[in-house]
Amino acid sequence: MAPLVVRREDWLNLGVVFFLAVALAQSWNVIGGLAGQVNLGHAAFFGLGALVARQLWAAGTPIAAAMTAGAAVATTAGLALGLAAFRLRGAYFAIGTLALAEVLRLFVANNLSQVSTLPAAAIAGYQLGVRYYTAAGLALGTTLAVGWLAASRLGLAMEAVREDEEAAEASGVGGFQVKLAALACSTALVGLAGGVFAFYQISYYPQHPFNPTWTFDAVLITFIGGVGTIHGPVLGAMLFVLLRDYLAVRWADLHVLVFGALFVAIVLLLPGGLVEVGQRLRGRPGVAGRGRVVGRASSGSST
Amino acid sequence: MLEVWQLDAAYGELRALAEVSVRVEPGEIVALVGSNGAGKTTLLRSIAGLTRPRAGRIRWRNEDLGHLPPHKVVERGVAMVPEGRRLFGHMTVEENLGLGAFTRRARGERSASLARVYEIFPRLAERRRQRAGALSGGEQQMVAIGRALMTRPALLMLDEPSLGLAPRVVEALLEVLATIHQTGVAVFLVEQNVRAALGLAHRGYLLAHGRVVGEGSGAGLLGDPEVRRAYLGPLALER
Amino acid sequence: MTALAQQLLLGVLLGGLYGLAAAGLSLVFGVLRVLNVAHGELIMLGGYGAFWLFDLFGLDPFLSLLVVMPLAGALGGLLYAGLFAYVVRLGEEPRIRTSLLVGFGLALCLHALAVRLFTADERAITTTYAGRGIPLGAIVLPIGRLVSLAVAVLLILLLDAFLQRTRWGQAIRAAAEDWEAAALQGIDVRRAYTLAFAIGTALAGAAGVLVATGYSVSPAIGLEWTLKALIVVVLAGLGSALGTFAGGVVLGCAEALSAALFGGAYREVVGLLLFFCVLVARPQGFFGRP
Repeated sequence: MAPLVVRREDWLNLGVVFFLAVALAQSWNVIGGLAGQVNLGHAAFFGLGALVARQLWAAGTPIAAAMTAGAAVATTAGLALGLAAFRLRGAYFAIGTLALAEVLRLFVANNLSQVSTLPAAAIAGYQLGVRYYTAAGLALGTTLAVGWLAASRLGLAMEAVREDEEAAEASGVGGFQVKLAALACSTALVGLAGGVFAFYQISYYPQHPFNPTWTFDAVLITFIGGVGTIHGPVLGAMLFVLLRDYLAVRWADLHVLVFGALFVAIVLLLPGGLVEVGQRLRGRPGVAGRGRVVGRASSGSST
Repeated sequence: MLEVWQLDAAYGELRALAEVSVRVEPGEIVALVGSNGAGKTTLLRSIAGLTRPRAGRIRWRNEDLGHLPPHKVVERGVAMVPEGRRLFGHMTVEENLGLGAFTRRARGERSASLARVYEIFPRLAERRRQRAGALSGGEQQMVAIGRALMTRPALLMLDEPSLGLAPRVVEALLEVLATIHQTGVAVFLVEQNVRAALGLAHRGYLLAHGRVVGEGSGAGLLGDPEVRRAYLGPLALER
Repeated sequence: MTALAQQLLLGVLLGGLYGLAAAGLSLVFGVLRVLNVAHGELIMLGGYGAFWLFDLFGLDPFLSLLVVMPLAGALGGLLYAGLFAYVVRLGEEPRIRTSLLVGFGLALCLHALAVRLFTADERAITTTYAGRGIPLGAIVLPIGRLVSLAVAVLLILLLDAFLQRTRWGQAIRAAAEDWEAAALQGIDVRRAYTLAFAIGTALAGAAGVLVATGYSVSPAIGLEWTLKALIVVVLAGLGSALGTFAGGVVLGCAEALSAALFGGAYREVVGLLLFFCVLVARPQGFFGRP
């Protein structure tokens, strides 16, 4: 019943998958956790980062530059999305971004329907270790970015907007600007993650990183770990990857079922996620400000 | 019949009612007056089951109403006409009234109730097929009261029915309430319009900052110089 | 020209299903203010229900509606009691958001369950009359899909009649407009909500049966149909079953036109873009609640 991880190579691959999951979740955490905007188009920026990085790299650009370019394109797209979509609030923003991301995926699927494979030379010189460390750096970088943002003035503004955008506006916080900044950071980070994916994955369909599953995974991981917290997405990613790897041996896809159920339970019962579980076990009261993306019924609510 | 005892209610941190005790006996018209924010609406909402009180007891015909959901309170014969009327604007007058007879008890006498409502409010009979949202303020108030009557209540509670109505309409409203009372329905009238409410009522309560600060007969309270000064303004003392 | 006419006809036939699919979502959102994004998954389950009833017992899919719909309704009641009953107690904004998240989790669970139980393969119901069509001049009317449209229309009319004429239908509409005022008339709002959710799910199940009949069903159609339903609800607004149906037909035609003009690959795109534009044009979100 042990996972089929018996060679060093398998550990490294698992590591990359884990680090990518952390990066995907942390980048989503910026917009969804810190700023409280449920962006369901996250995969679009992952895909753009991957697409641009892959094309440039295949054309000869050094991978670091290619990844940076990917992140830049993703950020630009993120700003465009923000301009178009931030008129929408809450759930409408969520489904609106989902729709746009789907449009993008369909475009890519129709225009770039052929598998993207690394040229033979690249495959021959492929070093998994380099990918591993790159991905590790990415995971660390995104986590540090979230930590830094959360503690910064911008992070404070994001929290104000998350809790009550109108009240924040009334106290002089520019809601739109803050959300846009959050989205820019989020898409930059996930665009970079896309570049790492393009660097790592030997062969895939160009539309694959645009698949909404990447968004859903990020949302799941972030919430289960503890949305809005710094180490929540790391914990969530750990659980996610382990579960997927473990369950995949016997039951393909069942990890989604477990995670979905866990997700619903957390949304309804324990919005602080695993982080809150940890805090409660250690005797501290539940997370109050952080991690509350979902509003709770106040005792005076009329129902 | 209705007995509210030491009721405490709050919205989050804000204490809306503190140790409020009122009662309504069968066949009475009781008024509860107070200014904005005194807690009048909270009291009615608590009785009706829309808000859960923090402490205290609400008894109706010797049954504890405290934890019943609103529809069960209605089943037991306590109806409320909420502040602002809150009609179903997209439905016709008749549909609005018809919905009042939703409970089994009320459904059985639906046609009789409807006939009675049209008798009390002939203008509604004329407008029965009109969209409720298109009616004037006074007419909407009629529908709101009619709708509550359709539930065949033993106690009719009204939350500021005179709000937004012209004085002439308010007078007509008071006459209607007197008529309703004569059919055997007890009335619990909550109002900012102190003169109108106390003028009609047998007994009255004064509510201020969530507390009952006065109690007496309607006429007595109305004649009390303190009351007049507090609620009717300096000019009232001249009369 | 005839190719276009044929495409439009197929678009109308498909649009009727879009309308039916949206009707359930619209009812639930309009009444409970709950955005159940697992709606597509419920459609998918309805489709599988019809498929297995046909595959195992040879039950004609149109007859299996009589089995699938009540079962779906019961499932809806359970889902409401288990998940959404809590959500409706929240205030308006957190309610929509929480329901989105809960629906999202539910959708993932149902999807994973379907993949596990049924595999990811596409399934289609092939009845004897499935392939046949009635020629009408140069175009052909596919029989199966025509009957599906008729069924969809019938269900929409029944829904409309229920909401307008029956006691509980009016109670549901009242609760949708102002739940406190409804409760003050003696309406058990929780029961009204449960009923609305159950009906919404039953309609989803019905849509699924029709989808499996005329097209195919696989776990992947869940997200697809959720998006379709959302698009139609946004286009048509809330409050009218007939309006929602018309919105569905409009979407079906729009897709057909877009496929005819730009090629089949971009069929989906027009709906999604239209959806986004309408959403943004009304910053409050959906068409103003009446």
